[in-house]
Amino acid sequence: MTTRRALLASFVAASAVPRLGWADAGNPAYIAAAREPDGTFALFGLSETGADVFRIPLPDRGHAATAHPSAPEIVAFARRPGTFALVIDGVGGRVIRQLDAPPGRHFYGHGAFLGGGDILCTTENEIDTGEGRIGLWLRREGYRRIGEVASGGIGPHDMKLLADGRTLVVANGGIRTHPDRGREKLNLDTMRPNLTYLDATDGILEQVELAPDLHQCSIRHLALGQGGQVAFAMQCQGDPNEAQPLLGLHRRGEAPVLCEADLGEQVAMQGYAGSIAFDGAAERVAITSPRGGRVHVFDREGSFRAVHLRADVCGIGAAVGGFVATDGLGGVLSLTAHGATPLARAARAWDNHLILV
Amino acid sequence: MRFLPALALYLSAAPALAGVGEVTDDHIFPGYTAFAAATETLTETARGDCTAGALRPAYQDAFDAWMGVSHLRLGPVETDGRILAISFWPDSRNLTESSLRRLIAEQDGVVDTPGAYGEVSIAARGLMALDRLLYDDTLAGYGADSYTCRLVTAITADLDAMADAVLAEWQQGYADTLRSAGDPENTTFLSQREAAQALFTVLTTALEFDADQRIGRPMGTFERPRPTRAEAWRSGRSLRNVELSLVALRDLALKLSQDEPAQTLAAFDDALAAARDLDDPVFAGVEDPGSRFKIEILQQKIRAAKGAVTLEIGAGLGVSAGFNSADGD
Repeated sequence: MTTRRALLASFVAASAVPRLGWADAGNPAYIAAAREPDGTFALFGLSETGADVFRIPLPDRGHAATAHPSAPEIVAFARRPGTFALVIDGVGGRVIRQLDAPPGRHFYGHGAFLGGGDILCTTENEIDTGEGRIGLWLRREGYRRIGEVASGGIGPHDMKLLADGRTLVVANGGIRTHPDRGREKLNLDTMRPNLTYLDATDGILEQVELAPDLHQCSIRHLALGQGGQVAFAMQCQGDPNEAQPLLGLHRRGEAPVLCEADLGEQVAMQGYAGSIAFDGAAERVAITSPRGGRVHVFDREGSFRAVHLRADVCGIGAAVGGFVATDGLGGVLSLTAHGATPLARAARAWDNHLILV
Repeated sequence: MRFLPALALYLSAAPALAGVGEVTDDHIFPGYTAFAAATETLTETARGDCTAGALRPAYQDAFDAWMGVSHLRLGPVETDGRILAISFWPDSRNLTESSLRRLIAEQDGVVDTPGAYGEVSIAARGLMALDRLLYDDTLAGYGADSYTCRLVTAITADLDAMADAVLAEWQQGYADTLRSAGDPENTTFLSQREAAQALFTVLTTALEFDADQRIGRPMGTFERPRPTRAEAWRSGRSLRNVELSLVALRDLALKLSQDEPAQTLAAFDDALAAARDLDDPVFAGVEDPGSRFKIEILQQKIRAAKGAVTLEIGAGLGVSAGFNSADGD
């Protein structure tokens, strides 16, 4: 049975000018996926203080999601190597469309809107060749697949739209996987991750690769600062005690700046950054390590500023005066210059990412 | 009558609290007290005679004591890089060697200022720095009036100061933080389950460390074994550290459980028997297929103990491995 809300939502989806806004969805500040105590999965909208605004059941474990810039619409991605993404109406709390990866493709778990929200971009694997692809979907035609471009590397993961509204920055993680082999990493000896800037018309504009001795550090997640600053978080394969840098800062046309904490803290991150975010003022950037049970905070020049300890912490997003972080124990924490304070706790395990709406 | 509500509250809170209180009082405090005493003896010995031959017994005792607490990766050792400053291992970039050789070459005056050694790179501090200086053939022959002797004395004093600070912080705050888990004002552990989860994670992480690092590093691959990657092989402690770690972890498992964890204790005893049967103090046998097999058996038995801990103790506490740490992306 079609409800009035669903009708409205479909009208909105077909219209160039959205009528419903995020206020109609209860104005969530964040979106995050979680595992419930009964083992099922759901997507939550959270307020600035970590309170539940909405809950939408998911058929399987989620990874990341991307929020439409103006309409209360969320695209939630299955955990890789998932072949579906769900378009969710944040007002009705219903799945309004399922996007299926084209034959021979699977999603990597992240996406971004461009063109003012008219086009959804998705990071994908061309399974036969292992080459990364950015899938393009036209929202106003019910998310019709309209094409794809090369991502500029293997294993594209996170992706963000720069402030110019057309340039995408893509984290090509460099790790080849094949759905027949699950999540097994097939090219650890030869992997070459990169950061790629591209747009849908001109293709690749600029690529950044790190020094050869860091070739096993998979560039994985991204956050945008001010003035075109891109922060990237890495996950290093191999020995977790080698204390490689896990955070890089970059601006187009410049060399990347790699950022490290003092040796003891750097080792404690165990070669793994799970999520990344700038704070509300874009002055500080934080990376999380669930394996090390800590959050590292750097300033935008790349100097190490603070550590917050919290078991299984992973999701992080900007907040006024700092950050909000989520963890696998169900905690939602405020991180500021004064330390970490709990905002909320629920009997659920928050998954990797906290998405700012 | 007026005690009944409090009693009821105590009983309802008992399952998680009982284990946590027993762990702090009967496992953590005695362990850190013994470590602080051993580092004090080491420091006093160095003040009397800082040559390698004189210090080795006290160094061995201090390392033994450290193995009683080295697995406790939470609380006071998590600040200022202390856990690695006490024992900098694994050292895949050989930083301890390069840091110590630089200090010696430059005759760095930091060793002569009381308390200043804490500012030196963590790679040049603690037990693994002493492992080099007291046992490396090219370093250990230093004389009583040498720079190295002052360096060794500074390392022991710094180690003792860390041991004292960690014990004091456990006694004066962190034990209460752990025991008051779930109280409204406790911002570290938001529920009793979180405290139980933290100790459970300590246990499983330490078993992984024994199997994957302490044994896995020297094992390397069958084609390329790496005996000199064994922990503290210079001072002959590689196997002893595994054995003492298992003894300490068995004790933690027992105190963390509500009921006697029969399968877990059996698995620990099995692994300990394999360690005691192994006549290979520094895992030199990784290069010989026959003795390599025995080391691999020990590694498997430690992994079996981790499996038993997960099934028996984790299930009993209602906790499991971290959702995000166990499976990243």
